[in-house]
Amino acid sequence: MVSSLDFEPRIVAFLCNWCTYTGADLAGVSRMQYPPNVRPIRVMCSGSVDPMYVLKALLDGADGVLIGGCHPGDCHYVNGNYKARRRMAVLSAILDEFGIDSRRVWFRFISASEGALFAKTVRDMTDALRALGPNPARALWIA
Amino acid sequence: MQHRHVQHRGVAMKDLLLAVGEEGREKALARFLARLLETGVVDGLVVPAEAAPGVTSCVLAKDPRIVEEFGRPLAPVMTVSAARVVSEVVRKRPSGRVAAVLRPCEGRALVELMKLRQAAPENVVALGIDCEGTYDPVAYRAANGNADSLDMRQACRVCLTPAPLEDALPGVTLGLIGLDEREGVLVSVHGDLDPAVAAAVEELGLGDGEIAARKRREALGVLARQRQESYELFMAASGFDGIETFARQLAACTGCRGCRVACPVCYCKECIFDTDTFEYELGQFMRKARRKGALKVPSETILYHLTRMNHMSLSCVGCGQCEQACQQDLPLFRLFAMASRRTQAIFNYVPGRNLAEELPFTTFREEELEPR
Repeated sequence: MVSSLDFEPRIVAFLCNWCTYTGADLAGVSRMQYPPNVRPIRVMCSGSVDPMYVLKALLDGADGVLIGGCHPGDCHYVNGNYKARRRMAVLSAILDEFGIDSRRVWFRFISASEGALFAKTVRDMTDALRALGPNPARALWIA
Repeated sequence: MQHRHVQHRGVAMKDLLLAVGEEGREKALARFLARLLETGVVDGLVVPAEAAPGVTSCVLAKDPRIVEEFGRPLAPVMTVSAARVVSEVVRKRPSGRVAAVLRPCEGRALVELMKLRQAAPENVVALGIDCEGTYDPVAYRAANGNADSLDMRQACRVCLTPAPLEDALPGVTLGLIGLDEREGVLVSVHGDLDPAVAAAVEELGLGDGEIAARKRREALGVLARQRQESYELFMAASGFDGIETFARQLAACTGCRGCRVACPVCYCKECIFDTDTFEYELGQFMRKARRKGALKVPSETILYHLTRMNHMSLSCVGCGQCEQACQQDLPLFRLFAMASRRTQAIFNYVPGRNLAEELPFTTFREEELEPR
């Protein structure tokens, strides 16, 4: 068992092209410090994140999944973020029902100008996952 | 579910009674259906028919004589959900109209399919029928259609909707619960049914069904309480302390996808799990195996089942066809019941309750859930 001290959580992040991905970029060009535990995947909208992608990440080695979308009213595709919120609510309910802690999945609204919020979110999530410990699904060979 | 408030369209019902003589209830019903088909108000009838001893399949009947002779509207087996059958028949937007004998779960699944645009309401006259439960079709066939020594399917034993949800679809409800054979069959015509069909039904020489309707309502009340109790007991015995326990329950899955084929609401023309997204190269298998130490193949067992729950549990009507189809006898009904109880509660959604209600995934509210 890996102790929580030397455990480095792996975060897969699905980031909306129009907001959070640009926010993450801003955090980078602004030289903001945040843990290198996050693997960003650029998507066109948080509404395009099928729960299957999140599940696949969790079953194949991620300790947590971050989904970053636009603030209410700001969606480039009008309402994809609201629909994503419903999908993620259903996903969380199912994860909890079958023994994967839904606190491993974060859905956040982070805009293109909120580089600092992105950096803080990654810091907070890394800390929270460190406290939760490694994702038990990672070592599950029935995946 | 029982405790949820059912929104009524306020549909008026006309309660009629189909008399049952020496021939028995099923024959009387088959004759009634044959005569309805004969009137020509519908172009066809979807009804279970006996194909061989102990084997009933849904047929699309054109000839009333076949309905009368082979029709088994009360067959206690659900080999294929009639929702799937109706959707297959009318999916391509025909000009015609079929009547369909639908158990409560089949009627609810059909409403979900209509919301998913897999069937059009104007092409269907729903003949909802009370359900007294079904048996495993393989066991029923082996027993040559004699159910005496068979147990009812788990899904039916804890079913919370033994009677059709009358507000779901315009049509006719065929009531059996609380009425013994000689008391006849209650034929309730929904007020918003196409007047031509309603008139044709009423002209089939039916009697007054007011007393029968009252008797049935009382019996349904008692049954609802019993079923709620069975359901709570069943669900209390469910639960997982971690993903490992859950995975072990599904370890025997062969990946045959039989559950998906049998599911009346799983509708995609091409399922993502059949695409080359999941045709891995050796390197991908090796990477996964290295990470986990070993990998069960066929792989993506848990991903498949959890994804299906994410996509379909909101529309799950609890018919148990997934478990009935499972060659490994996996507890799929229980797993879907656990998932759908949780997910449907989020949106106070009852699948098949009302055609006018939107599918939760196709809509949203600005002020709901997290984050805000």
